[in-house]
Amino acid sequence: MARYETIRLAHGSGGRLTADLIRDVFAATFDSEPLAALTDAAVLANPGGRLAVTTDAHSVTPWRFPGGDIGRLAVAGTVNDLAVMGAAPRYLSAAFVLEEGFRLDDLAEVARSMKATADEAVITIVAGDTKVVERGKGDGIYIATAGVGFVPEGRDIGPHRLEPGGLLLVNGTLGDHGIAVMAARDGLDPSGDLRSDVAPLASLVDALLAAAPGVHFLRDLTRGGLAAVANEMVTGRPLGLRVFEEAVPLDPSVAALSEMLGIDPLLAANEGKLLAVAPPDQAAAALAALRAHPLGADAAVIGDLLLEPAGVALVETAYGSRRVLEMPIEEQLPRIC
Amino acid sequence: MTRGHRAGPSPALPAAALPDAYRDPGLVAALAARVRETAAALAAPVKLMHICGTHEHALGRYALRELLPPDLELLAGPGCPVCVCDSALIDAAIRLASTPGITLASFGDMLAVPGSLPLRGEARGDVRMSLLDARARGGDVRTVYSVFDAARLAAAAPARQVVFFSVGFETTVVATAALLRRDPPPNLTILEANYYTPPATALLPTLPGFDVQGLLLPGHATAVTGTGVYRELPRAGVACAVTGFEPADMLAGVLALLRQLHKGRLRVENVYGRVVADAGNERALADLDAVFQPVSRRWRGIADIPGSGFELRSAHRWRSARERFPDAFVESGERASEHAAGCRCADVTLGLTRPDACPLFAARCTPDSPYGPCMVSHEGTCRAWHQYGMARGPIAVRTSSTEVGRGPL
Repeated sequence: MARYETIRLAHGSGGRLTADLIRDVFAATFDSEPLAALTDAAVLANPGGRLAVTTDAHSVTPWRFPGGDIGRLAVAGTVNDLAVMGAAPRYLSAAFVLEEGFRLDDLAEVARSMKATADEAVITIVAGDTKVVERGKGDGIYIATAGVGFVPEGRDIGPHRLEPGGLLLVNGTLGDHGIAVMAARDGLDPSGDLRSDVAPLASLVDALLAAAPGVHFLRDLTRGGLAAVANEMVTGRPLGLRVFEEAVPLDPSVAALSEMLGIDPLLAANEGKLLAVAPPDQAAAALAALRAHPLGADAAVIGDLLLEPAGVALVETAYGSRRVLEMPIEEQLPRIC
Repeated sequence: MTRGHRAGPSPALPAAALPDAYRDPGLVAALAARVRETAAALAAPVKLMHICGTHEHALGRYALRELLPPDLELLAGPGCPVCVCDSALIDAAIRLASTPGITLASFGDMLAVPGSLPLRGEARGDVRMSLLDARARGGDVRTVYSVFDAARLAAAAPARQVVFFSVGFETTVVATAALLRRDPPPNLTILEANYYTPPATALLPTLPGFDVQGLLLPGHATAVTGTGVYRELPRAGVACAVTGFEPADMLAGVLALLRQLHKGRLRVENVYGRVVADAGNERALADLDAVFQPVSRRWRGIADIPGSGFELRSAHRWRSARERFPDAFVESGERASEHAAGCRCADVTLGLTRPDACPLFAARCTPDSPYGPCMVSHEGTCRAWHQYGMARGPIAVRTSSTEVGRGPL
């Protein structure tokens, strides 16, 4: 692997450099039997239950950001998509699109980060692929993943079970990832306090569902943040949603920077936060379970589902007045004045 | 962003910069109660107006209109620099951006605002070109956060011409003035599109049918100009309060106006004294006066207003994009009306029409498919109304728990 310091087009050609890369970087780091076999497809054990399958493409600038990197993001994002469906994440594949000139030691760092995150989430990386694009035709590194998990019999999580009266919980401060990455991109955090929240939430979901089996809806709050998920939950359904603004946990640095930039943290991305809906009689148990987990220390009940107005997500202010929480429309940009 | 001046466990800003005190629910509730009492004592409906896009955002963000009594109407007036920017200037910016060798640097707010050049091949009807369309057709348009970013672009590319689209009110023109006094790279020019609001504000009471009794004056703009520029307004029968942007500031401004009306003694009251000095910002005004002089400016769809714009003084005139690239300012004859057919931005801007009274609002004109500048810009009244659902008025909710015992859901 020490033969070159940077990715060359030949690393994606299927020849010797490709084989070196797979053996020395990916197979060595990921340390999984199905991958080490270097077969065309991984043949895997089926532990039973219904299959949950998800796929996701990841690009982020800069690829290394405060609190994480694209490798952790790719694994955590895939794990979380499975976990919020109530599935136990099991297998993951990853395809890398690398730009000619990307440093091999950076790639090794990304691979180690993926392995560490996969271990945290108890998911095995079982298959992979690599392509290289010419310099200038990529953004350093893109990672596309697919994930497979298994849903235990009898578990039923989804929007069809939402009904008025359900209580909304989040597992911590909102907007951390979106604001941290924007700050890193634009050099806006001289104090260095901002951190992405990127983390795999599988064990948190396990603990939550064990303590409060009545939890019947889960979503990870990625792009578009709470605003996007809140709107998707009520659009076209006979129920509304209310967020109590004062109850939403915010990191003080995130609150301050988003205020300065004129950006609403409720619309900013998270990579380690989920929204759960619990029936009122299990909300206390759900909250306690979240708070007992390291990724849920700042968990809070932030709102409820309404009968009316239907089809609308609302924010109730500290003054008791209410505004609409709009579906995010465009990339959030700082304003003129 | 002060380093080494931390108050809390991890704030990026010192705690003093966080205006929690002016958002305190107890204070806001007390002010709202005083507003209701004072309005009741007036015993007649009251119509007030603010003239600042940031005020409209505060009204939406905190749903403050819900806290006002029903017979007190608080309108949005001309407070959006993007919305009143002459469509001819947007057309010029588009021509500049489309000229080889020229980079056009603009605030993000301005990029999607249509000018008056028709967008050919567009199926949605009367749609006009914006800078985004110019960029999609190969024009070099860059988003900047300030004129200083534009100067950095110019320094980094000495062989290119960089034109800064200097849009904004008196608050932003002072930054352009300050930069020009510091001798930025010679390949930086200015597209002069800054507006000066006091002459437009002075015209409001002369409009036919204008029945607004009090104005919340814009805190940021007045911090630059000082309060003296508004001294004629009370004589024209309008109560005035220079007002900040936090919920308590807004209600304190409204309360000040109601009290003036109650006593029958109208004046320019400064209820934003923690930021606004009566004399204004003398250093900023000196920069402004050294670089710019007043000029008549077209307010889009409204009028030409004498003294309501800024042009570079003769010593700085060579920095004017209009001087350096005169061809971009020649109208080619294909120019249409200032606003697209049916768009009521001009009336909305003057506070003569509510956004939801426009037949296009939220139907054919939405933030992701806007017809007029008021729906494009974040400072625009239509955009704020759409974003915060203000057309709904006070929003009542029913939870299922209140339904318990009254029948099935």
